[in-house]
Amino acid sequence: MSTIALPGTLTSVPRSGWFTQFGQVLRRWLTSSIRQVWGPAMSLIQPIIWILLFGQVFASLGVLPQFGGDGYIDYLVPGILMMTVLYSGAWAGTGYIDDINSGVMDQYLTSPISRSAIISGQLAQQLIISLAQSLVVLGIGWLGGARYPGGIGGMLVALGVASLLAAIFCCASSAVALITRSQIALISLSQLIVLPATFLSTAMMPADLMPEWVQNVARWNPMTWAVELGRGGLSGTYPESGWWQAAGLTLLAVLGFVWAVRSIRAYQRSV
Amino acid sequence: MPANNSGNAIVADSLTKVYAGRGRRPDVHALDGLSFTVAPGTVFGLLGPNGAGKSTTTRILTTLSTPTSGTAQVAGSDVRRESEAVRGVIGYVSQGSSTDPVLTARENLEIAGRMRGMNAVEARARARRLLDEFGLAEASRRRVSTFSGGMRRRLDVAAALVHRPRVLFLDEPTTGLDPEARATMWAEIRRLSGEEALTVVLTTHYMEEADRLADELLLVNGGRAVVQGTPKQLKAALHGDSVRVSLIEPDPAAVRAAVARVPGLSDLVVEASGVDGVLAARTEDASAAVGAVIAALDVAGIRFGQVAASHPTLDDVYLHFVGHTFGDSSIDPRSAAVTTGAAA
Repeated sequence: MSTIALPGTLTSVPRSGWFTQFGQVLRRWLTSSIRQVWGPAMSLIQPIIWILLFGQVFASLGVLPQFGGDGYIDYLVPGILMMTVLYSGAWAGTGYIDDINSGVMDQYLTSPISRSAIISGQLAQQLIISLAQSLVVLGIGWLGGARYPGGIGGMLVALGVASLLAAIFCCASSAVALITRSQIALISLSQLIVLPATFLSTAMMPADLMPEWVQNVARWNPMTWAVELGRGGLSGTYPESGWWQAAGLTLLAVLGFVWAVRSIRAYQRSV
Repeated sequence: MPANNSGNAIVADSLTKVYAGRGRRPDVHALDGLSFTVAPGTVFGLLGPNGAGKSTTTRILTTLSTPTSGTAQVAGSDVRRESEAVRGVIGYVSQGSSTDPVLTARENLEIAGRMRGMNAVEARARARRLLDEFGLAEASRRRVSTFSGGMRRRLDVAAALVHRPRVLFLDEPTTGLDPEARATMWAEIRRLSGEEALTVVLTTHYMEEADRLADELLLVNGGRAVVQGTPKQLKAALHGDSVRVSLIEPDPAAVRAAVARVPGLSDLVVEASGVDGVLAARTEDASAAVGAVIAALDVAGIRFGQVAASHPTLDDVYLHFVGHTFGDSSIDPRSAAVTTGAAA
């Protein structure tokens, strides 16, 4: 962005580089989330309940061969991990709606700041939060009795995949926020998507135990891709179509990012 | 560069802005061919009632919005084609807040400075300097969410000045402030206007504010320019004095009928909003008119409060050119108070 030609008559106006802008946007959001840490912390209550409740209630399912013989809790943790970042990511857009309502967004848009730096800075903050949440979920899972034979490497794969999934939903949430500019629209839309995305995937149940139509939906559900890759990482046995699933998630993350950047530009055109 | 860089800080030429209607709502013509120029180093007041097009104009000049047609240059750069260059030299204080409430005042200013290309040391020094100047030094480590409305507004202005802009846009900077905070803000703006290199574009619907701060005024109504000039010129364009009577629970038709036979009144306006109302008129001979108006209202049994005669104020200018009292009392109750205050 620093190579944009300024018209000749202007005396050189100092401009910050893309990385500085990105860094300052990130600094703002991170400072803000450190001071309001109860938000991300509260969103961890749900996975704790899921793990403890589901882990106990459905423990007997673990003996079924479809669960791979390691017990239900081992099967459940990667599902809860992805669910946590999904829920958390779907809220990412609320920050933009606050900025639009307060006037901070106007300030950004009337400054020579790269639009992609605005999106990237906030996305980076969201990914840092989701990474922290992921680590906590893995810890809670371990306390709940889950074990991760995939080792450190496998855990890193699971965390990476969780970040990809978080990026997809953060970007989508940001784009929806910038387009609708309404907290209510954003919340209802994410409610509409998040729950079916979870239950029409293999987060809780292996495909073999689900009706055929759900199997068909689940196969193409990015949530399934993320859960199976994460499960592969934690257990050490990756799914056959793992590379395709990883490629699919990466592609969606890139598309989501482009959509979010386009939305911020569209927002400016519409005011 | 095109030849339009004639030394003016701002050149707006035939700006129009149409917001497309939705469903059965018709299109809104927020600007309808607005043209004006602003000389560098001056305080330029954009004055008009709510919905006149002041904010739309500001949004276009700050590159936040684009005009439907027409062109504008700010500091020699076209707002549409060279928007990045415009953004580099303007500061914008919108009606909202421009700072993050969870961050401290200092953090907000430092981040603004870094974003604008300063290194960490420069940004810190600039932030400290501005916090001193705006009387916020003691509060610099407090979160902005704990600030009063006046402090917040001053911080917004400080944030807009971080990068030493050449043109500063202030969109209704004192709306919602209490009288003391407003006076402080006026002093700040006057101090800024003393800085030669800075051009200030101020939108307001407070007559008194425009009168005190602006070197040059443009009255807008319905998205069009009504009249432009210095506050003095505009007031001088009106002859005679103005008479104002504040009314209590008025019936406008009855008031109009009561004073219809008073000789020598012109530009008669009677307005009511809730329990308050105002009668305003112009006259060549204030002393004769005041007595006659009071007598006429008494005879008709109309209740009234303060009666005042004065030299023309910008309220009268507005009344003369636009035809109703300034501001929309039903939307902003404060404007009624300002109106009577200015007349008294």
